[in-house]
Amino acid sequence: MKTKKGAAISIATMVSPVTLWMAFFIAIPLLYVAVMSFCGTDENYNVVFRLTLENYRRLLDPSYLQIYMQSILIAFLTTAFCILLGYPFAFLIARTKSRKKALLYMLVIIPFWTNSLIRIYGWRTFLSASGMLNTLLMKLNLIDTQIDFLYNIGTTVFGMVYCLFPFMILPLYTAIEKLDINLLEASSDLGARGASTFFHIILPLTASGIFSGSIMVFIPALGYFFVADILGGGNSDVIGNLIERQFQSGNNWPLGAALSMILIGITLLLVKLYQKCGGDMESLGV
Amino acid sequence: MKKLKMGFCLLLAALTTASLSACGGNSQSSDSTGSAGELNIFVWTEYVPDSVIEQFEEETGIKVNVSTYSSNEDMLAKVKSEGEGTYDIVQPTDYMVEQMISQGLLQELDQSKLTNLSNIGESYLNPSYDPGNVYSVPYQGGAAAIAVNTSKVPSGTITSYADLFDSQYANSMVVLDDFRAIIGMAAKSLGYSMSETDPDKLAEISERLLSLKDNIKLYDSDSPKSALISGDCYLGVIWSAEIALAMDENPDIEIVYPSEGAYLFMDNWCVTKGAKNYDQAMEFINYMLKPETAQMVMQEYPYLNPNTTALEGMEDDYKNNTAKNPPAEDIAKGEYIKNLDTDTLAIYDQMWTELKK
Amino acid sequence: MVRTQKRKLKKGLGVGYCALIYLFLFLPIAVIITNSFNATTSKPYMTWKGFTFDWYIKLFDNSALLDSFGNTILIAVCSTVLATCIGTLAAVGMYRYRFRGKGVIDALLYIPVVIPEIVLGIALLTLFAKTSIPRGILSLVLAHTTFSIPFVVFNIRARLTGYDNSVEEASMDLGAGKVETFFRITVPILAPAIGGGALLAFTLSIDDVIISYFTNGQTKTFPLKVMESIKSGVSPDVNALSTLILAGTTLLVILTQSNLFKRRK
Repeated sequence: MKTKKGAAISIATMVSPVTLWMAFFIAIPLLYVAVMSFCGTDENYNVVFRLTLENYRRLLDPSYLQIYMQSILIAFLTTAFCILLGYPFAFLIARTKSRKKALLYMLVIIPFWTNSLIRIYGWRTFLSASGMLNTLLMKLNLIDTQIDFLYNIGTTVFGMVYCLFPFMILPLYTAIEKLDINLLEASSDLGARGASTFFHIILPLTASGIFSGSIMVFIPALGYFFVADILGGGNSDVIGNLIERQFQSGNNWPLGAALSMILIGITLLLVKLYQKCGGDMESLGV
Repeated sequence: MKKLKMGFCLLLAALTTASLSACGGNSQSSDSTGSAGELNIFVWTEYVPDSVIEQFEEETGIKVNVSTYSSNEDMLAKVKSEGEGTYDIVQPTDYMVEQMISQGLLQELDQSKLTNLSNIGESYLNPSYDPGNVYSVPYQGGAAAIAVNTSKVPSGTITSYADLFDSQYANSMVVLDDFRAIIGMAAKSLGYSMSETDPDKLAEISERLLSLKDNIKLYDSDSPKSALISGDCYLGVIWSAEIALAMDENPDIEIVYPSEGAYLFMDNWCVTKGAKNYDQAMEFINYMLKPETAQMVMQEYPYLNPNTTALEGMEDDYKNNTAKNPPAEDIAKGEYIKNLDTDTLAIYDQMWTELKK
Repeated sequence: MVRTQKRKLKKGLGVGYCALIYLFLFLPIAVIITNSFNATTSKPYMTWKGFTFDWYIKLFDNSALLDSFGNTILIAVCSTVLATCIGTLAAVGMYRYRFRGKGVIDALLYIPVVIPEIVLGIALLTLFAKTSIPRGILSLVLAHTTFSIPFVVFNIRARLTGYDNSVEEASMDLGAGKVETFFRITVPILAPAIGGGALLAFTLSIDDVIISYFTNGQTKTFPLKVMESIKSGVSPDVNALSTLILAGTTLLVILTQSNLFKRRK
């Protein structure tokens, strides 16, 4: 059964379904989007196939560039907060000697089985001017008038951090769990203090977790338009909002396609950066 | 291994039960209805009461599937990108009716089936965007007026769109997520038309629009009253009925029709080209033209209603409520928007993007 | 003495910090569950008007909501099955054999994982619009399968390292055909990995918002129905349904996990 022909048939049967599927549903649509980004529209908003650079010219306008910068800033802040808040948490859970470790891990995942939209809405209700937080703070006499928590960039970042938190925790958890305790003991035996051990041993060894977590947080944060809509109030558009608008009310698919190409470009840059830093593609998405 | 298998079987069983019960729930309701066919309607959010649809379903046996949108442009985008006939009925606003007619997206209405059309006031029939009501029948309309929470801003301080541009109102307003309405407001505050095309004037409007940016806290076309009711915003430029509903919940809130003249709109029932359920669609539209139906609609979504028979039958405090029943002089001052050419639209789109970043 | 005190302080801080993070994660869930008992009846359903179980009963009258949930389950099951079959074959095939073009397929598989969902969403919308594939359950199943396949493949591939195919060879030496060997030997051995991939695919499908938003046509899935409700004010029956789903999935996990716990002891 080890004939070349037999092997060829095996390969064909096993791999052709996925190849055909990916070609038809990923490669071809993306190619079409790329082509469409060079097209225009007529007065009836139908796509017209005369190649033009008009869309890209519009999108490289300073006003659009500012929006990209803002979106990247939001994504950056989201990632930063995920790392700062998530690392200690992942560390404590991963290295706990408690018997309930599996339970603790599960408790991180369980909230994410509830629909993410309704949880974001839950935050909106909670943070609203007449919501529970303001009511509580006023009852405790900590504030006189309500605080405006909602509808600014900060709320959008907050919402993104909330949604993307597990994507940072899970890779961190995996990386931290693999830490050999002997290394830590050896380090303290050799006289290193806690902080030194952390920066010279723990951090470098868990860096892969930080990198893959960062990619899995940063890239989606550029596209999560519904968080910016629900919590940001429409003031803190991310690139995803721009794209969504062109495919809905803007009625300008080619412009939306061009925006998508720009977003893909940013994504590829980040992935290249990730690989340069020694990031492992295998650890993404698992 | 066995235990895992057991676990997965449990999971599968639970899921099958869940989907069966969900489907079972539907088939129960669709056994009694759906015998006279189906109808797919695509309407504005917060515009057609569930109770009206349910009553229609019970009386006729037609099952109604509802999808919603919150801007004409969104509706146009969906109608064009979905297959023909995905939606039977749509609710375009005046200027959008004109556009959809020119793009060949609408079907002619069989007026012989619209026996209740006589309930609509004469002045609302035969509009400029659809002479003879060949493709459309008016539903409800109104204005994009100003909402003021008088506990924060004393009554009478604000009388015009221009007043809203004052920097003391920073981070206080909820406005419609509708570029024609808000750009139109900026134009009106300068004394220009809401469908301005002159490039110099547009540059002025653009600057004016951007000066409003800091005052806007939230863009919401779906349920803008929520922000006013919750207190997250104390000023708003939103649909008149939304202001009316906010006023019901919070008596501090007042409506102000801008002195420059408000953004006006009239929404219409239309049937799409290629609609699969034409007869059911006509039955539905005729049903909506009944005075009793119109009254039910006005109770829940108090907009300007062209059904004069229905309006006459409403209580006095409804008729005297300036938010629910916009006064004639304010309507006379207002302006309906017109369609724009592609190049001008691109400029408007650019302005809007600048504002929202 | 100081050392143990220091250690206790550290431990206390650690526990405190974790508790805060858990609070952060669970707070909106608490809000949702609480609001499912809200006796309010008027839009936008924001003010608390008393405690009631009514909405749990009214939920079963809301056929649009139940429909959307049924759709979500149906789409999730179909897309999971499809993605698992295609993905398992692909993962084993790519692990076992070397052939030209493997790198290309690999790259194609990474695309849905790495690019933002909105790009995939509009690309699929464009495809469906151009090829007139009916927008609805079909397009949603196709879309969900597309983004699930890579996760299945990667999950299985991760567990394939060090896979010993001597059992398979033995099976074939004993006369079993390739297909028989695959289904009777390979699949059972890989069952945990396949199960893990399937579970991941299922989870992704159930909560998908962005891709479904562009490819759904008129069909409502549960997340899209929630999105619609958010626009006009979420009525407590949506909260009730979400609470029930959460309770159900938690229960399932406890049942399956307790099996595993027992095994360990």
